[in-house]
Amino acid sequence: MLQNVVNALVLGSSYLMIAVGLTLIYGILKILHIAHAGVYAFGALFTVYLYELGLSMVFAISFSLIASSLLGAFIYRGFYKHVLERGRIVPLVMSVGLFAAMEDLYRLLWGPYKRPFDVHLILPDLITPNLYLGSKGILMLICTAIVIFLLYLLMIKTKLGKSLRACANDLNLAGAFGIDTDRTITYGFLIGSALAALGGILVGLYDNTVYPTMGSVPSYKAFVVVVLGGFGSIRGAVMASYILALVETLIVYKFGFLLPRDAIAFLAMIALLMFKPEGLFGKVQR
Amino acid sequence: MAKKVFVAFWILLSLLGLGTIKIGFFAPITGPAAADGASALHGAELAVEYINARGGVLGQKVELVWYDDNFKADQAVNIAYKLVQQDRVAVVVSGSYSGMTRAAAGIYQQLKVPMISAYAVHPEIVATGDYIFRVGTLATVQGRAGAHLAVRKLGAKRIAILTIDNDFGVSLTAGFKEEAIKLGAEIVFEQRYPLGETDFRPILTRIRALKPDAIYATAYFSEAARLVSQARQLGIFVPIIGQEGYDSPQFAKLAEAGAANGVVITTDLDRDSEKPIVRWFIEEYAKKYGLDADMVAASAFDAVIAAIKAIALAGSYDPAKIRDALASIKAGDKELEDFVTGFRGFTEKRESLRTITCQIYLGNRFHWFWEVTDPKIVTP
Repeated sequence: MLQNVVNALVLGSSYLMIAVGLTLIYGILKILHIAHAGVYAFGALFTVYLYELGLSMVFAISFSLIASSLLGAFIYRGFYKHVLERGRIVPLVMSVGLFAAMEDLYRLLWGPYKRPFDVHLILPDLITPNLYLGSKGILMLICTAIVIFLLYLLMIKTKLGKSLRACANDLNLAGAFGIDTDRTITYGFLIGSALAALGGILVGLYDNTVYPTMGSVPSYKAFVVVVLGGFGSIRGAVMASYILALVETLIVYKFGFLLPRDAIAFLAMIALLMFKPEGLFGKVQR
Repeated sequence: MAKKVFVAFWILLSLLGLGTIKIGFFAPITGPAAADGASALHGAELAVEYINARGGVLGQKVELVWYDDNFKADQAVNIAYKLVQQDRVAVVVSGSYSGMTRAAAGIYQQLKVPMISAYAVHPEIVATGDYIFRVGTLATVQGRAGAHLAVRKLGAKRIAILTIDNDFGVSLTAGFKEEAIKLGAEIVFEQRYPLGETDFRPILTRIRALKPDAIYATAYFSEAARLVSQARQLGIFVPIIGQEGYDSPQFAKLAEAGAANGVVITTDLDRDSEKPIVRWFIEEYAKKYGLDADMVAASAFDAVIAAIKAIALAGSYDPAKIRDALASIKAGDKELEDFVTGFRGFTEKRESLRTITCQIYLGNRFHWFWEVTDPKIVTP
């Protein structure tokens, strides 16, 4: 049982890493940013590419995070920014198209193969007779904890965090009060995309596999977390990630794969929305 | 009428020495099975090269006409029409998986063009009709061989089964289960999982509590790598028995360091074989493609060689005659050396007669571990 909880914690952390950036972006712009999963895959693929070129792990990850941030900011400034006035459907369609193009681009650049991401970490494995947690799982948990803590500090203590929250509350009003909304949104994309890339890297490490379409499932599954958590609530995303992972793990443990895990996630989302349309921690959107 | 004109035209061309003998081929070059698609294509290309280096067949060069089915059954069907009606091939080799091969087999049967399945394992493929052959091992046979490996060789009494939820996995498990129970083993756990699953930990946690003697897991190499790594991580050190789906250099690469060690599989390529053709094939493959040859490549090689042998035996490029010739193929004749896999010819049901080799992963590659030759087990 303990083993299941630990497995679920790691799985939940992997959901959280991609969902938290998405929550940030959704909170501000209220658009479904599907291409976020493209950034997630880019982070992992680019890291492996640099690592295979012979850079050290730390450098490869750092470069990849920077590149992914810029990629995210570019997606906003080059694409979404120009269609924000057109309702929500236009950016959504654009995002789906972008994501498909990104996946194919990765395939052309790095081939369709699944590639190993075999790095020996200096962290120890945790092994007891009935509990195992590998070093890569430990890394995932540590990184997630650090990220959540830093994000909390950023949102509460810094001016940028205040701007982000103000924009999330009411974009037009924030602009009227003298906040540079465009800059704030760009920062939101920079931070959110770096987090997505870090998520991709950690999952790639944990599974020892990266491939061009690794973002396909997270592209929609992260939205389950965003919706469950209450649109745009970071605290909600944290709770939802772990609850979802625990439910999935326990259902698979008890009943096997009666349904694919993604179906389980969507059913959980639908069930919750029936009773709480605003999600776990959301405010009612007026 | 059109056919007659075409044959006359073809004879004219061949007299001028301009024609080539075309072998149709399809494989999943893109899509989720791209790695196997590439291996299959490499194997087929190597076979064509091998034959052409020996002067081709019927005095002409052999040419491979290949298409990418993108891992989609409807594509495989379109390709079937294209190969027969546009490219006018008289024999086709499938380098694809069971789903695509099954869909295409119906079309080839209808158009009366022989098709040889290289490594797709589903029983229904060959049952389609008298124009469909298989070089690879029938799933039920391979499952049966796996049961003998588990119970007789490894001495397993309590076995847990994990099945990939598709044609390949389900038909393998059916053969394995029936035979294992016959041999007196007990199946303590059985579960299916969807293709592309990456997290087996919950299921493995349950298997761990049951303490089985062995795990029989049907999988392709990427699922297999995850499954084996996670089992070892969770402290499950009983033998894991796989099958030809594991047989790829990718398997060990994607597994955690050392996790692939001790995994036993039933497959068709014996890497420790002393046969000259096997040694040539493995070396040539490594030289040409910079990769280790796997079972998929070897099977595609053999299927193309079988097709060419049949053309030579038929002495013509007529689909019906090639079909009849295929049925009479045997390994070990003089003009071409043996096949790379354990293929020894076709049975009356157009399934392959073969020795099934069991390989164990040790150090950095698969090695010979055991083999199943008992005709009672290996005859489909």
